[in-house]
Parts: sequence; structure tokens; C-alpha cells
Amino acid sequence: MAYVATRGGERAIEQSERLYRAELGQIDAGRVQELRKALPMLIDRVMGEASLYEPDLAALALAQSGGDLYEAVLLLRAWRTTQPRLGIAAPVMQDQLFTHRRISAAFKDIPGGQILGPSLDYAHRLLATDVLQGRPYSPAPVEPAPTPAPALQPSLAAWQKAQGLVADPARAEVAPDDIPDLTREPLLFPAKRAHTLQSLARADTGGMLALGYSAMRGYGNAHPTVNELRLAEAELRVRHPRGTEFSAGRVKVSQAEVTSKGRSGLLELGFCATLGWNEVKVISGATLDLNAPGASKGSPVEEEFFLYHTEPVEASGFCIHFKLPHYVTFQSSLDALRGAKATADKTPAPIQPEQVPA
Amino acid sequence: MFDQTDEKTPPFDHGPLLEILARADATRLVALAERLLPDLGAVEVIQSRTGLVMLPMRDTVQGTDFHLGEVLVAEAHIRAAGTEGYGMVVGRDLERAMAMAVVDAAASLGQTPEIRSFLQHEAATLAAADTARLCRVEATRVDMETF
Repeated sequence: MAYVATRGGERAIEQSERLYRAELGQIDAGRVQELRKALPMLIDRVMGEASLYEPDLAALALAQSGGDLYEAVLLLRAWRTTQPRLGIAAPVMQDQLFTHRRISAAFKDIPGGQILGPSLDYAHRLLATDVLQGRPYSPAPVEPAPTPAPALQPSLAAWQKAQGLVADPARAEVAPDDIPDLTREPLLFPAKRAHTLQSLARADTGGMLALGYSAMRGYGNAHPTVNELRLAEAELRVRHPRGTEFSAGRVKVSQAEVTSKGRSGLLELGFCATLGWNEVKVISGATLDLNAPGASKGSPVEEEFFLYHTEPVEASGFCIHFKLPHYVTFQSSLDALRGAKATADKTPAPIQPEQVPA
Repeated sequence: MFDQTDEKTPPFDHGPLLEILARADATRLVALAERLLPDLGAVEVIQSRTGLVMLPMRDTVQGTDFHLGEVLVAEAHIRAAGTEGYGMVVGRDLERAMAMAVVDAAASLGQTPEIRSFLQHEAATLAAADTARLCRVEATRVDMETF
């Protein structure tokens, strides 16, 4: 069997792309800036899944793809390969995050307190239909507290480890250059923990929610409670040629720990973090991480299952490739079907069992 | 423009100096660099480019360092007046990175009152913005009462 070379589609392909792009119209810097300003949550989601932090480029990718998230992520992942890697920053620690929101659903009195930050958790979800009648919606301003919140908050897990509530495994020091990197090496199973967490950080939000939700509903081993959820900004700590370490600026990050009581008598934790602010993603990812140990083969909370199936570029690419011509392989199936039917038609009808006289 | 220089304060250490420059207001930073440039003479540009910096994070469960993702940065590296200057800023703005490198080079030859007053002004502006944000964040602190 071989692929069949055909011609005749060039004009159709060209016009098809034009038809698609005509719907989007002219894209200019103003549209990109408006998208960036109006859709920060979507920008964050796209940056996290693309594994590339640059809000203007994410807004441009959204403008060019007309909001098709998988196309936007693919555009950014492809563009990323044109850029050299200048280095690896110093690892971000929880207690160095400039924290905007930090809550725990498991512990009421956490060190540092419960700080809701920007959230719609307790809001009425009402559509502001007045806007469509020409009456703009203006949010009420925040009434600032007289004193600022501490910029830095302790890690809840570190406090729990000190309290003996959570296992505190010995850690091996790894130089930043030696941290396993999925963009340079394949994902193999059983996965290194660094690969698992990097893969979750880049994974498709919707895919993680679907699989994480299945675990939350009971198709997993452990029911999650949010131990700590944090929205913050991390410093990008790099080195000057003279060796001075400094922050080149801040990027938004989110992280979640979820917990359940383990068989060992200690609390067990699952962890997930990503670039940008995306709470559903990190809670789902942490739930998958919590449920993965000991999961049976083929279950949604098994590491190989959820990591392979939540990679946005591979998953969407595989799905949409089925639209491309499969005439030869399908013809072969059709031949086999027709052959089987012809054989069946030639076979004499089965002999009816003899009627037994009453 | 920056006339409230406190001459008694010690010069900025290199780390804080770089951090202030990296987050300073772009327009004011470029304006300062343009004023400092004539004194540096001929400038050799070693590097002016965008690129990626991988950002690792430490997992709280097992203490594993892993990669969160890459951050686009603008980088500039120059040689002038027998010294070097370096700039790196989050984002794509090559002009900002170059201005940072120019100020870094000039400051390495001596933190003139102009440079110091710029750094003091920008540090105060950045601190004020952080404080304003954190006062708004503090307003969302839950004051819980148990029945």
C-alpha cells in the first residue's frame, strides 16, 4: 500500500484559508491591546498551556486564531521554538511569592490568615444585560485597608511538615541546569516527578478538569480538600554577567495543594502549579497528582493516562488530523467490508433445523 | 526633575540597582539612558535580543524542582568606556533592556546624583504601587468568628 499522489486541491485550500481569515477581518495592534486588557483570564490560560509567558503574544495568538484556544496554543508553542534559551532562573519558593490570594479550605486558622484576593467565589453570577441597552457596567471600587497585607506568606505545607501532619521526605539538591525538561526530552513512564509537574503546568485546562472531576466524583482513590490555593507573582531571578543575581521582573503564577487523609495516618498532598492565574487548572491537576499513586492501569487518575491525554497540542492535533484525507486507508477498510459481504452472499443459507413433529 | 537626592544615603548595591532598573517606568528609564549615553562614548553592542528564560518552581510535597514554563525576556549587553552594562527585562521591549544596560554601565563608573535620584524615585514609586496593591489585598482578609 502506498499514499496516492493527487492534485487539484490547491485553489480550494487557498480559498478555504481566505474564507476563514475573512471572518476575522483585519488584525491590528489596537485589537491585540483590547484583547489583552479585556480578557486577562483567557490570556493567562493560553500562556499556561503554551508554556510561554508573554501577554502581548498570547493576545495576538488569540486574535489570529479568532479565539480557538488550541490554535492559539499551537501558534505560541511554534513561535517559542524561534527563540534562543538565555538561561534558567532560580527556582521559585512558596514563601518568596508576591501573594495576591491565599486560602485554605482544610484549615481555618492558617498562619498568615485567609486572604481572598480577587475572586468571584462568593459573587452572584448575574449577566449585566443593561450593558447591551447602552448602560455601562462599572465595578464598585475596593476600599483599601489602612495597612498593607504582607507581600510574602509562608508555605502551608512547610508549616504542616513542622507540625508532623505531613510526611517530609528528604530532597536531593538539583542544579537548575539539571532539572529534567520535557521540551528537550521525551516523557517516559513511570514519569520523573519533575516531568509530571511540568507536564501538568503545560496541560489543557479543560482536559485536566474532566479527568480531575472524574476523580472528585469518585472514580479515583482520594477525595480532595484544598489545602492551599494561591495566586501570586513570582520574581524571575536571573544572573548579571558579573554574577549578581537579580529579578528581571514578575510573572503571574498559580498553585494549589489538595489533601486527604492517607493510610499512613498522615495527610497526603497533591500539588500543581502553572504560569498565569488559573484556579480550575491547578486544583484539578493537584487532585490528579494526589490520586496518581497506586492508580490502576487505564484509570483516569493513572499518571500515564492523564498526562498523555491532557497535552493540548498533541490531543487537539490528533483529533483534527482525522479530517485530513484518509482515502487509502478507508478504501482498504471498504474493500475488506465488501469482500466479507460478497463471501457471505455466496455462502448457502444455513440449513433450517428440522421441524420436530408435534 | 529629581532634586530631592539624599546625598547621605549609601550607593545602591548592584542587586537592588538592577531590580529597580528592570521594573522602572520605561519612558523615564529611556530618558535617563539617553542623557547618560554621551558620557559613555562609543558603545559596542555585545547582545540585543529577545529570548526565553525557563522558570523552575519547588513543589511543596516532595521538594522537587520542576519547570513551570518559559518567560520571554529582552536582553541587552554592552561594552563602553572600559566597562560593561547589562539589562534583562520581562517582556519584548528591547529598548527598555538597552536603556537598563546603559544605566548599569554608567552606574558601574560611579552612581552620580542623577542616577541615584532616579533610583530613589523609581524605588519609591514601585514600593508605593506594591503597597497600594497590598492594601487592596488586605481588604479581602477574612476576619473569621466561630459561633
